[in-house]
Amino acid sequence: MQTRSRACWRSSLKSLFYLVAIFSSLLIFSAGEYRCGSIECDNFKSDVSDKASLQRGLSTYMNYCYGCHSLKYSRYKRIAEDLLIPLEMYENNLIFDGSKIGELMEISLTKEDAVNWLGAYPPDLTLEARLRRPDWIYTYLRNYYPDSSRPYGVNNRVYQNVNMPHVLEDMQNTLPKNQYDQVIYDLTNFMTYVADPSAEQRKRIGTYVLLFLIIFTAFAYMTYKEFKKDLK
Amino acid sequence: MSENTIGKKSLEWVDSRFPVVDLFERHLSKYYSPSNINIWYLFGFLLLIVLVMQILTGLWLMMNYTNTAEGAFSSIEYIMRDVDYGWLIRYMHAGGASAFFALIYLHMFRGMMYGSYQKPRELIWVGGWFVYVLLCAEGFTGYVLPWGQMSFWAAQVIISLVGSIPYFGEDLAIWIRGDYIVSGITLSRLFAFHVVLLPILIIAVVFFHILALHEIGSNNPDGIDVKKHTDQDGVPLDAKPFFPYDITHDFYALGVFLIIFCSVIFFFPEGGGYIIEYVNYEPANPLSTPAHIVPSWYYTPFYAMLRAIDFPLFGLTAKFLGFVVMAAGIAIFAALPWLDRSPVKSIKYKGIYSKAFLTGFVLSFFVLAYLGSVPPTETKNMLAKVFTFIYFAYFLLMPIYTKFEKCKPVPERVGDLA
Repeated sequence: MQTRSRACWRSSLKSLFYLVAIFSSLLIFSAGEYRCGSIECDNFKSDVSDKASLQRGLSTYMNYCYGCHSLKYSRYKRIAEDLLIPLEMYENNLIFDGSKIGELMEISLTKEDAVNWLGAYPPDLTLEARLRRPDWIYTYLRNYYPDSSRPYGVNNRVYQNVNMPHVLEDMQNTLPKNQYDQVIYDLTNFMTYVADPSAEQRKRIGTYVLLFLIIFTAFAYMTYKEFKKDLK
Repeated sequence: MSENTIGKKSLEWVDSRFPVVDLFERHLSKYYSPSNINIWYLFGFLLLIVLVMQILTGLWLMMNYTNTAEGAFSSIEYIMRDVDYGWLIRYMHAGGASAFFALIYLHMFRGMMYGSYQKPRELIWVGGWFVYVLLCAEGFTGYVLPWGQMSFWAAQVIISLVGSIPYFGEDLAIWIRGDYIVSGITLSRLFAFHVVLLPILIIAVVFFHILALHEIGSNNPDGIDVKKHTDQDGVPLDAKPFFPYDITHDFYALGVFLIIFCSVIFFFPEGGGYIIEYVNYEPANPLSTPAHIVPSWYYTPFYAMLRAIDFPLFGLTAKFLGFVVMAAGIAIFAALPWLDRSPVKSIKYKGIYSKAFLTGFVLSFFVLAYLGSVPPTETKNMLAKVFTFIYFAYFLLMPIYTKFEKCKPVPERVGDLA
């Protein structure tokens, strides 16, 4: 009886394993897509624990992007705290319109003006890194090229005929390539952080939760085994 | 000592007013389960845990969620950013939905493998099937609530299916939406269904499901009736009390499940776009249709069936026929107890045709799940047709192949070699 039930157990486990294997291979198979427009996405690995990188990214964002692109689901104060920036310093240097530090990061550009000046309303970018993924942003910002047929004289390999001018053009022309790439890396890293600000806390808590669960499961297993002895 | 007496007295006091001891014995300490049940018998317990988790996390989400077209999307981000541990509650709820479906599919497959739907467990099966249907509705209504692009367009596509019903379909679709397109009015009514109507129904039918199960008892991988052989006190010989033997096994399984579940929600909360779709991070925009509208992974087999029917027939539109086939794909599970004519329950003792058709069914389910999640091409559409056919063949040919195939003899008792 023992061997029979064990064999049955094993065959069930085996079929479960096959099910999982088939399904996960389907998932991997279906995930393979060409996402960065006309080219393949560059490899981008974010590191949201690198506060210096996030601070540099924030500074680039506030100076070059924030004029048009709000971060309206995020609050100034949350970013200041997460990025270890003293609140006073943050208020004096990175809030331009007299907003209070606890407020949401909305911009003063109106829809009407934006459509008149740019042809479209620049989207909010709080969640851009979750929507398009960080590697897309990183690739996009590094793939503007001159194109005289477009209104701003530039086009983009990732986003064909994009309405956005190449805001970082001067920077790209003056900085050496590796330094410009670093600027884009930091900016993308910051956008990855702001799209999912709880990521670090989540992983920290998750580690403790898993440690607890492993201990719980070990005890649950021993209890199960102990009771199972009665059934022999 | 005195504490014991007080405890005993209080128990007597309660017991003479409410049958607490009787309930404990009937459903736990003297509820017997076959001694040969295996790993496939753990999912029911896990489903119950997930149900409780969904209700609790849902309750907390509701405290901060805004059910209007203007406020829904930003209220989710408010939960994710400003509410203490809001991200955790939301990831548990979103991940819990996927876990719910993964577990219920495994649970249903167990029943199909071991013939648990057969006499005398028809009502247990039909009740469980009804829970699954309600869960599909619950998943759909919940998916709309974040009011992202995929929320909006999934709602638009699914509700428009109703519009394909001849004669009164369009009016019915407008009645369901409360508007000419999916709008804030639709959102708030789906919210009401999601948090009140459907959970109440689910709890009620789960209660029915468990009550019916406890009346008859679990089937087992051999499909043996363990109540046939009892000792002089009427206790089944090939069984063990649920408490403490099964419950300890269930808690061990719960530990393993939670390790997997928490690994996902803490380290891969979006599940690679399968738990929370990336497109849904853009607020709903009725003026811009996403390139690919894809339902959640747990509906994709049925979505593939819907798309597979791309031809009109007998004056009915392809869309309506697809809708009918999709609904039939879900509804047909309920007929299983009456489609299966086999003298044996378990796949172990059924003949070669049952094994082949069940394998075909599993294969078609996975292939359709894949096909429903990718943009259609001509080849893929052809494949979807073939596998939709295999899927239905498993059910519709069952009365024939189960009746005529040669089965192996079922052992009289657990552990006997037949």
